[in-house]
Amino acid sequence: MENLHIEATKSSPQINFNAQTNIQSISGESYPENTTSFYENVFKWLEEYMNIVKEQEIIFNLELIYFNSSSSKVLMDLFDMLEEFSEDGKNITVNWIYDEDNDASLEYGEEFAEDIESLTFNLIQK
Amino acid sequence: MIDLYEYKQGLQEDGIIFSFSGPMSHEIIEGIGSAIRVKIGKGEDGDKSAALKVFSIFVEQVENVINYSVEKDHEDSQLSFGIVVIGKKDGHFFISGGNKIYTDKIAKLEANLSKLAKMNKDELKVYYKERRRAEKDDDSKGAGIGFIEMAKRSTKPIEYSFKNIDAQYSFFTIKISI
Repeated sequence: MENLHIEATKSSPQINFNAQTNIQSISGESYPENTTSFYENVFKWLEEYMNIVKEQEIIFNLELIYFNSSSSKVLMDLFDMLEEFSEDGKNITVNWIYDEDNDASLEYGEEFAEDIESLTFNLIQK
Repeated sequence: MIDLYEYKQGLQEDGIIFSFSGPMSHEIIEGIGSAIRVKIGKGEDGDKSAALKVFSIFVEQVENVINYSVEKDHEDSQLSFGIVVIGKKDGHFFISGGNKIYTDKIAKLEANLSKLAKMNKDELKVYYKERRRAEKDDDSKGAGIGFIEMAKRSTKPIEYSFKNIDAQYSFFTIKISI
């Protein structure tokens, strides 16, 4: 399957999804003009990918400096989706990477962690 | 207005760092937003964490103007008019945003905002999480959690007002302090 690469803009993150290494990353800023349409391809790719991936370890590296409330909802949808796949037996780890002087990023990471049950969700200081 | 000095001095006396009144767009958020982040976050007394907090409130407020202002330059206009002001007073940043709304929307908005103004940090967090997972409201154009996001980041209860313009329209202002 083809990899998904989307370049970062001022208000949308860089997406690097790789079906060979199984390391998926989302990094940068997220306050796109149209949140739903920006993340549409991201979710589409993940659905297809989860159908072909087997017992390999899948790592999600999320390193977001800032995201708006619409993106926060999308991220929750993403984690809910990953949690379902994880309950179905996929080996998924999420790394929430935050900068030392970005206390909001740590706080938001902790809040996502509280809402996640079976998915491995690590908070990692950069 | 050929001499803006007094106008500028007036803003300065009120502690206003930035003021924008006019058509809002996503480009405004990107452009002016970066300037705000540089202004507050960089330099000798730069505070990166405060810069991100102010920026995040600014984004939510401009998005609210874009999504909910009923003041447009013509019917199919993509441009919504409103005002956003950022300032610093007594060591605290404040971000105020305003736009024209339909008077008949006040009751619902007021009910929502007064509820948020009464909540403490823990209650806001629980409510935020609940709404984030909920289906969005029919009236919402975004995720519907912008006000909760603002209230969550505010160090004081959120402040707001409605000023009647005429039978159909009112002016809505929201103020967040950090």
